[in-house]
Amino acid sequence: MKKMSKWIAPLTLSAVLLGACGGNESSGESSNNETASNNGGNSSDEAPDTMETGEADQTVEASGDESVQLDMWIHQTGEDETNFYVERIDAFNEENDDIHVTAEIIIDDGGSSYSDSINAALVAGNLPDILALDGPYVASFAESDVIQSIDEYVDEEFLDDFVDSIIQQGSYDGELYSLGAMEASIPLYYNKEIFEEEGIEAPTSVDEAWTWDEFMEHAEALTTEDRYGLNLFMNYGVGEWMTFMGAPFVWSNDGELLSEDGSTADGYLNGPESVEAFEYIKSLFEAGVVDLNPGEMQFEEGNAAMALGGPWISVTAEEAGVDWGMMPYPYKETPVSPSGSMAYGITSLTENPEEAFEVMKWLTNEESTIGLSEVTGMPPVRHSAFESMDHYDELPWSIMREQVTETAKARPQTPAYPVLTDAFAQSFHAAALGEDVQETLDQQVERVERELERFND
Amino acid sequence: MAGPKKFRMKTLQGKEAVTGYLFLLPALILLGIFLLYPMGAAFYYSLTDFYILRPGEENFVGLANFQTILGDAEFRQALINTIYFAVLVVPIQISVALGLALLVNRKLRFKVFFRTAYFSPVVMSLVVVSILWTFMYNPNEGLINELLGVFGIPAQPFLTSPDQAMNSIIAMSVWQGAGFQMMIFLAGLQNIPNHLYEAADIDGASKFQKFLHVTLPGLKNISVFIFITITIAAFKLLVQPMIMTQGGPLGSTKSLVYHIYEVGFNYRDVGYASAMAVVFTLMVLIITIVQRILAREEGA
Repeated sequence: MKKMSKWIAPLTLSAVLLGACGGNESSGESSNNETASNNGGNSSDEAPDTMETGEADQTVEASGDESVQLDMWIHQTGEDETNFYVERIDAFNEENDDIHVTAEIIIDDGGSSYSDSINAALVAGNLPDILALDGPYVASFAESDVIQSIDEYVDEEFLDDFVDSIIQQGSYDGELYSLGAMEASIPLYYNKEIFEEEGIEAPTSVDEAWTWDEFMEHAEALTTEDRYGLNLFMNYGVGEWMTFMGAPFVWSNDGELLSEDGSTADGYLNGPESVEAFEYIKSLFEAGVVDLNPGEMQFEEGNAAMALGGPWISVTAEEAGVDWGMMPYPYKETPVSPSGSMAYGITSLTENPEEAFEVMKWLTNEESTIGLSEVTGMPPVRHSAFESMDHYDELPWSIMREQVTETAKARPQTPAYPVLTDAFAQSFHAAALGEDVQETLDQQVERVERELERFND
Repeated sequence: MAGPKKFRMKTLQGKEAVTGYLFLLPALILLGIFLLYPMGAAFYYSLTDFYILRPGEENFVGLANFQTILGDAEFRQALINTIYFAVLVVPIQISVALGLALLVNRKLRFKVFFRTAYFSPVVMSLVVVSILWTFMYNPNEGLINELLGVFGIPAQPFLTSPDQAMNSIIAMSVWQGAGFQMMIFLAGLQNIPNHLYEAADIDGASKFQKFLHVTLPGLKNISVFIFITITIAAFKLLVQPMIMTQGGPLGSTKSLVYHIYEVGFNYRDVGYASAMAVVFTLMVLIITIVQRILAREEGA
């Protein structure tokens, strides 16, 4: 016995360690669930945790229905936004006796933590039935059959109410994969007080949008010793923001980032229209009207007269007490504005795609998109929603509405998007730093071409 | 880095050996799960075209990934950046750490305060430190440029000029890391027997001579240890460029590990990223071995 006891300590320690490792895996899945999961009957999913099914078998639910269990992943950016999603999902569960959605909230820091989670789950084969994903990544997931087409559940009439850009964003290879509940746009914010002082008149509709020349002229006029004419939020870093905000410069010059069939960037991202657009961006920095290192609140503090910023600037500018207005995104040949936001996709692993689509439909219906818009300040995705939200009828929000419904263009639908967007952002930053535009674009196109090769065979 | 003392190992026998290995077991299990298995997996993936969005469909591609590395301009730039970082950080950080250790080893007032102050950056999260320094380096509102402004020096584009960004990261990294090596040096300093200094005093040695002939030799082993650990840490540069510059401007601060991370996670090319990781591991391994050989030769 005495000899045995010598071994007990190390053995138990190992057992505990092993147990801890194994245990974490299964408990992690349920411990993060934010919405209460009341297991109604058998789950038709392959529940990884046998304990749960066992419990469910013993407790007979009052309803007695066999409901379909769905897992869903939602990104968390802001608390209000997340709470709204949770509320909407709870409401869905209440309304639908036969479907039960369990949502897991995953932090989205604006960097890559959310997509890292998706990647990890993908490799491990642990993806949920339905998940939130960033618009431009729809193509990657569609190409790899991570998410499935929803064409069979939708008809023309249903889609008619959605703005074009959201359909564009959710489509790949002629099929619809994803729908979202919110849009985004970038208006040209301006400081009304400064505009009055300088006697500059802001356009009040997309039809009157400034051309590049007018934009440059006014930006220069608005730049003084202690104030920049324009803020492009270069402080967000060299990332998605630069593509989101900057791509319309290329598009409005009738350029593209990729060929129509998505097979090449050569002659497009480095084509003459793009080069001209990047030269223009470069000239904005050379003229000294944009700050390469703006402070977080440059526009809100009145240190920049204009700003190409996301809808969230309305909130921060309001809080800072700035008298702000919106005008349309400037253009060269054709007015174009940025678009795209988080959307939903149904994974190919799910055994209940129809029910999953019900969830997607619910989360993108009029009530959801209006509610989300009210909470986040982001524009809705449905024409009907715009009609029932009064403030979109008048300035400044009418500018946002016009952009979303008339000039919005989705970022390219390509599985090579992660490399493409980095190539664009690097080029944008290089132009801002005064590097040779053509040379930079050629280099970056080479990278994109190498990545596209993977998908072109 | 062989210590001066040689430990005499008694061979474990029979039951004792079993117990010993059993005690090792928990550590071995953890090492296996979190170190050996991933390393093996990375090595395997480096020979495949594993793409994250197509799990389980990887093909064996032999050494193709390693061939790609040879022609990869980004890899080359990241390698040069990393070496530049290491070559500057290692000597500067050792000198600063030793200087600080000598300072706080003297009998001065508020000694504890200074030790704590110099050590505190070490216990702060590197992410937090990076964000703080990003603010401090800001040309318009940053603390450092405000200070420079007082002396009439124009605002510097610390993180936005390709020429300055890496140096700015080096300065911040030294500030963040040196406190830790300071503590080790401090322990080393206090281990130098006092009678050596007394003997030097009797011989009429100056302060500098004492430092050169008593302090430095006394710190020999510790220095080698610090040298190797800082070098390895320097090669693992990741957080600072990720947070502060995203590898820019113009790729001037992109480190090898950051490049590997980007290719593996953002571009999902795990096969190629693994190949770069294998090359990186071999590189660090070789550097470490060379360092140890050099240190040993000098000691002999």
